Amino acid sequence: MNTYLKVARYHLVNRVQYTLLPLGWLAFAFAVCVVIFTIVDPSTKNGHVGALASIFFIFLALGVQSVVQLLPFGFALGLSRRTYYLGTVLLVTGLSVTYGLLITIMQEIERATGGWGGHLSFFRVPYILNGAWYLTWLTAFMGLLFFFLLGMWCGLIYRRWNLIGVFGFAATVITVALAGALSITWTHTWSGFDHFFRALSATGLTGMIAALALVLLTGGAGTMRRVTV
Amino acid sequence: MTPTISVTQLGRTYKDHAALADVTLDIAPNAITGLLGRNGAGKSTLMRIIAAQEFASSGTVRVLGEDPMENDRILRRITFVREDQIFPDFKVRHVIRAASWFHPNWSEELAQTLLADFELPPNRPMKKLSRGMRSAVGIVIGLAARAEVTLLDEPYAGLDAVARQIFYDRLLADYVEHPRTVLLSTHLIDEVADLLEHVVMIDHGRILIDAPADTVRGQAATIGGPADAVERFVAGRPILHRRTMASVSSVVVGGGLLDQDYRQARDLHLTVQPLSLQELIVHTSETTTEARKSA
Repeated sequence: MNTYLKVARYHLVNRVQYTLLPLGWLAFAFAVCVVIFTIVDPSTKNGHVGALASIFFIFLALGVQSVVQLLPFGFALGLSRRTYYLGTVLLVTGLSVTYGLLITIMQEIERATGGWGGHLSFFRVPYILNGAWYLTWLTAFMGLLFFFLLGMWCGLIYRRWNLIGVFGFAATVITVALAGALSITWTHTWSGFDHFFRALSATGLTGMIAALALVLLTGGAGTMRRVTV
Repeated sequence: MTPTISVTQLGRTYKDHAALADVTLDIAPNAITGLLGRNGAGKSTLMRIIAAQEFASSGTVRVLGEDPMENDRILRRITFVREDQIFPDFKVRHVIRAASWFHPNWSEELAQTLLADFELPPNRPMKKLSRGMRSAVGIVIGLAARAEVTLLDEPYAGLDAVARQIFYDRLLADYVEHPRTVLLSTHLIDEVADLLEHVVMIDHGRILIDAPADTVRGQAATIGGPADAVERFVAGRPILHRRTMASVSSVVVGGGLLDQDYRQARDLHLTVQPLSLQELIVHTSETTTEARKSA
């Protein structure tokens, strides 16, 4: 078997983490929303609950776990840093495709049943996850991939530079965002910024997430090169 | 014969602390080599660099003729059991199963035998195991992998004497049937002394001894008897340790003893007690520490 596939299989040895945890939590969140919708006055319902975000945060946590918990034994198995990284990326690509498809199918069912018979929009998120099935699949896939890679890079930073590194990373991201906001303010281009995002389609936003995911992928690979356990 | 592991002028510096300094070492194929030394001597750092888990500050490492760093072809022929191994949140059987996928010479039969020998419950989560049981899981992987290069860094931390004996017996039995290059670091020197074919002693990041075990064993002896006779005997010999009580002396001398030395000792009514490997390591370490302090 290809070594990258073996790495993916290594992650999946403990199936609870990658299957039961996301699916179970999603099912729980969905059940909670359904119960709430049965007791809330129908006239006050706006439909959108935003609980779908939980699966993206679970992917963030899984990304951290993939390095903090599984990497040390991965090295003991005789894996190079490159092979471990690429194998893990292969795994999360497969998982994101699968869970993205699941979200897409559930969204179609939600649409067909009129929001599970009660105007519930659990799998539909306004603007970003509310289009054609293939766009939902693509956006959900990219979002899941983005959060996992973000968690993985944070985990790698923690492995290399401990908590100080993670705080340094967070401070850098905030500083860059702040510098961007300040430059927009000083150049009086907030209206242009606003127009850009108003004009940006959900697909365009997915493209931006893809670009950011590529940054995370590259950054993670660079950090992985000299990581020790 | 091409060495399995070849280390040349290896250095590893952490800020202002030199964990390894100018280490040059060849480990011969198909032999059990003991890597001995005190805590913090540099044993684990050296093994981590050989296994490509740590980066050297200077020097080169060759394993099976190639640089092991990011070299999957070489890494899959190495197994490295660490004292401080972090295991994933798996059950014991999951850890063993994962290990079986990555080691080309893996013996499932040996793994199952060892699991039974160490009484490891396959369905128990790793985090619920005692320190000794976690070490036993590492040993199961290290031996069942039958890797050409087997690196064992204090593999039996927390293991009781019975389990340690099982480890020694199984290591020797499997090594005889499937020879491989074993590098074993340990503090329990007397326990493993009979297993070792070659001894490497490291102290403060430097190699002090690198010799066949038989040579090392005959290298030093304790000479005891009347102080003046002992002094006459040890004059001109390298002295590793000296203890005098009233008119009786006990002096540890290095450099090895010849037949004529034993005759001379008999004539002077002195006792000659060859040093065990552990005693030699202790005295060599003490001598080096004293020399460093006085320098």
